[in-house]
Amino acid sequence: MTRKLISFLAGAVLAVLPAAAQGFVFTPQWTAQAQFAGYYVAQEKGFYKEAGVDVKIVHPTSTQSAIDLIRSNKSQVTTLQLCQAMEIIDNGIPLVNILQTSMNNALVIVSRNNENPIKRKGIRVGTWSVGFDQIAICMCLREGLDYEWVKFASSVNLFVAGALDATLAMSYNEYFLLKQSGVNMTEENVYRFCDHSYNVQEDGLYMTRQCYEKNRGDAERFAQASRRGWEWAAEHPEETLDIVMKYVDEGHVATNRTLQKLMLEEVLRLQIDHDTGKREFRIRPDMVKLANDMMMENQFILHEITYEQLIAK
Amino acid sequence: MNKILQYISSSLSRRLRLFIALLATSVFLVALAVMFMQSREAVRSEALEHATQQLSNTVQRIDNILERVEVATNDTKWLVNRHPDCPDSMFVYSKSILENNPDLHGCSIAFEPYYFKEYGRYFSAFAYWNNGKVEVSREGSPSYEYFYMDWYQLSKLLNKPAWTEPFIDSDSEEDVSGDMIFSYCQPIWDNQGNYIGTIATDLALEWLSETISAVKPYPNSYSVMIGRGGTFLVHPDPSKLIYESIFTDCLEGKNPEKMALGQAMVHGEEGVKQLKINNELCYIFYKPLEKTGWSVAIVCPENDIFKGFNRLRNTVIGIFVIGLLLMLYVLAKLIQRELKPLNTLTDQAESIAAGNFDEELPNDGRTDEVGRLCQSFGNMQQSLVRYIEEMKSTTAAKAAIENEIKVASDIQMSMVPRIFPPFPNRHDIDLFASMTPAKEVGGDLYDFFVENEKLYFCIGDVSGKGIPASLFMAVTRNLFRIIAQQEYSPQEIATKINHALSADNDQGMFVTMFIGKVDLQTGRMEICNCGHNPPVICEPGGVPHFLQIKNTNIPLGTCDDFVFQGEVLENTWNTQLLLYTDGLTEAENLRYDLFGEDRLLKAMEKAPGMDSQDVVVMLQEAVEAHRAGVAPNDDLTILCLKLVKDKN
Repeated sequence: MTRKLISFLAGAVLAVLPAAAQGFVFTPQWTAQAQFAGYYVAQEKGFYKEAGVDVKIVHPTSTQSAIDLIRSNKSQVTTLQLCQAMEIIDNGIPLVNILQTSMNNALVIVSRNNENPIKRKGIRVGTWSVGFDQIAICMCLREGLDYEWVKFASSVNLFVAGALDATLAMSYNEYFLLKQSGVNMTEENVYRFCDHSYNVQEDGLYMTRQCYEKNRGDAERFAQASRRGWEWAAEHPEETLDIVMKYVDEGHVATNRTLQKLMLEEVLRLQIDHDTGKREFRIRPDMVKLANDMMMENQFILHEITYEQLIAK
Repeated sequence: MNKILQYISSSLSRRLRLFIALLATSVFLVALAVMFMQSREAVRSEALEHATQQLSNTVQRIDNILERVEVATNDTKWLVNRHPDCPDSMFVYSKSILENNPDLHGCSIAFEPYYFKEYGRYFSAFAYWNNGKVEVSREGSPSYEYFYMDWYQLSKLLNKPAWTEPFIDSDSEEDVSGDMIFSYCQPIWDNQGNYIGTIATDLALEWLSETISAVKPYPNSYSVMIGRGGTFLVHPDPSKLIYESIFTDCLEGKNPEKMALGQAMVHGEEGVKQLKINNELCYIFYKPLEKTGWSVAIVCPENDIFKGFNRLRNTVIGIFVIGLLLMLYVLAKLIQRELKPLNTLTDQAESIAAGNFDEELPNDGRTDEVGRLCQSFGNMQQSLVRYIEEMKSTTAAKAAIENEIKVASDIQMSMVPRIFPPFPNRHDIDLFASMTPAKEVGGDLYDFFVENEKLYFCIGDVSGKGIPASLFMAVTRNLFRIIAQQEYSPQEIATKINHALSADNDQGMFVTMFIGKVDLQTGRMEICNCGHNPPVICEPGGVPHFLQIKNTNIPLGTCDDFVFQGEVLENTWNTQLLLYTDGLTEAENLRYDLFGEDRLLKAMEKAPGMDSQDVVVMLQEAVEAHRAGVAPNDDLTILCLKLVKDKN
């Protein structure tokens, strides 16, 4: 018996992998939650079937992360943040973005004692042991904040216990978990990256370029049906929430309907482009450029990753 | 509403019942309210004390358990510090801590990455129970990087021992339904004071859950425990455990009371709050676990706390309502019985009022107010019967008298000339007279007749009124007719009448009289005034005025041998002569103002040109108008005479 907390992206476990699943396998990068509502909707409302794609949604496990499944071709498509995708491409695995859902960055820093986190140099800031912190680290270096980064496996416990001065949080997830832990959120103690010069898109659907070339038709139909799923979710939030909770219950995820409702609202909000006010479902070249510059500047990537490299051709 | 009030006010019995019911209800309600309030406060205080005591005991028990874990871990830490360079001994230490403390769930002695270089990045000596035996294994792998775990990092970051939040102990990601455990973590420092690792001792949350859930001061009360972030660690609803926190319901800005409770609990406060949970008002007693920063609460539904009190209250209210209804029923019967004679009396009084004077009144021998009322009513009935009998006979007698008086009145009126014009064949005599007695019969008189071309006339007023005066009047009138027909002069007539009346006048009655005799050929008028009111005279073309009489004389009947003096008025043609009794000048109105001589003369100013009848009628109307509805206080007699000389 071992003590484990689920950590899906914690390194590449290239152990013996199960046989490839039948059909077009989609692996969200995390456990079931409203962050992936559009895909659940597309599956449950039969949009994938209507598009002629036999989609199977397989969530990652502690021993098989999403990227592991992609690498081993057990899964054809996954969701990744833009910065994550660029890192993976930089590491030699060409990826193709077949649908961009997020148009805004969800990262926030929440500080305790109602203090502005970017006015506190050298504080101890929590971050996920599995990543998602590239933009935050870039910001820290750019602003000369000299944060002491503390990686954690759980979400908010160290911060709530007083072991951290501040913590990174996703505005659709940990932000509400912190609120649910009684943390008071104000204009002062919450720093939103999207409101400053760090607004880099996040979630999108990615495939390895090799897999994409082989399954171009399925990939495009999957992307279109997924987009339809998100649009339907935006129009039917209550019914979408029911679908999300079905997946949540099946996955025994420790969450509740209220949190998922708030997550869905926020994820849908982040999908609206701040310039056009529309759900655009596209990668913005300017954001790719911004992410590329920041990550190269701080050596998260060694080679320039261009917009053209990311998009399907 | 009006009908209800009318219905109530129409019966003494209903009013009495309502009054007593309202009074009794008010008194009882006030008494009950005071009793209920004080009892409720007593029950509440007792409940507060009871629940607070139970909560304190529970917290104390848990603290004792946690204290044992802390002691055991601290003892092991001492051993680790003695041999920090001996990784294999760590397995012995972790195993022995479990063997010495079978209540513990597991123990890890974990070190920083690459601390033991021979073991690579991961070294954690983990001891756990397997089928009743303690087994050990080495923890740590790329998929389980323990140094990112709370149980490892918390004490490191805090730089002091700490308790973690509960987490799921699972073999694999598929087994997410593993036991909930929590750990006591001790940081390990080397001799230079550098942090090198953590000792984490695990305890099953279920162990605490059982202890906490057993706290049930009331049948429907339950206990909860929340973590530092408000997460439910113990809750009767398993779906809330770990998945929800006390703040979940407040995330969308709702439930500020629950938010306040949660904040108080996560900030380590102790106290009691009232809160609505699932639409049920509850008392929540909370107290922190000092060691872990968690908070234990006992939720007691108010209905549960006050169940006994509510039962007693409902019983008392039930008894009160039934008692009130019973009291009203008994009262109704009692009042009905007590008032029954009154009802009988009412019916019989109505019967008596309808003329049944022989109706028998109730007599049940009662001596109270009702009995006395019946007795008094009986007496009144008897008096009434007697009175009515007397009334009957009196009325009969009175009717007889009135009948006789009517006859007398008729007789009296028949004694004076009442046919006008009195001399239809004569155009030279314009005479009209009227006599109106104040009572049925009066003491006034007038008379006239023509004898040998001489017109004899008189007017008189007997002292007093009524029957005696009328009799005296009759005598006087007869004397005048008899004596005057012998063609005496007015003063001779007066002297003779006076003589006749004065004889045997034991009553001392008298009569004022004006006697006149006119020669219808010459117009010469002889007059004799016997103490009577002066006549009004109006010569042709003149102004009405009182006739100036030298010898007024005395009234007739007062002095037997008095010799009356007369006077002569020459040429009275077309002269209006008005004779009257004092019923004219002394007629009173409501203010007791007399009609008076001035009004008489004023009225008479209209007389010239009028015939005698019109003059009399005019004066009667003037008097009527003056009296303005007041009954006449004296007999009223008016006689108007005018000799008309035919120009031809």
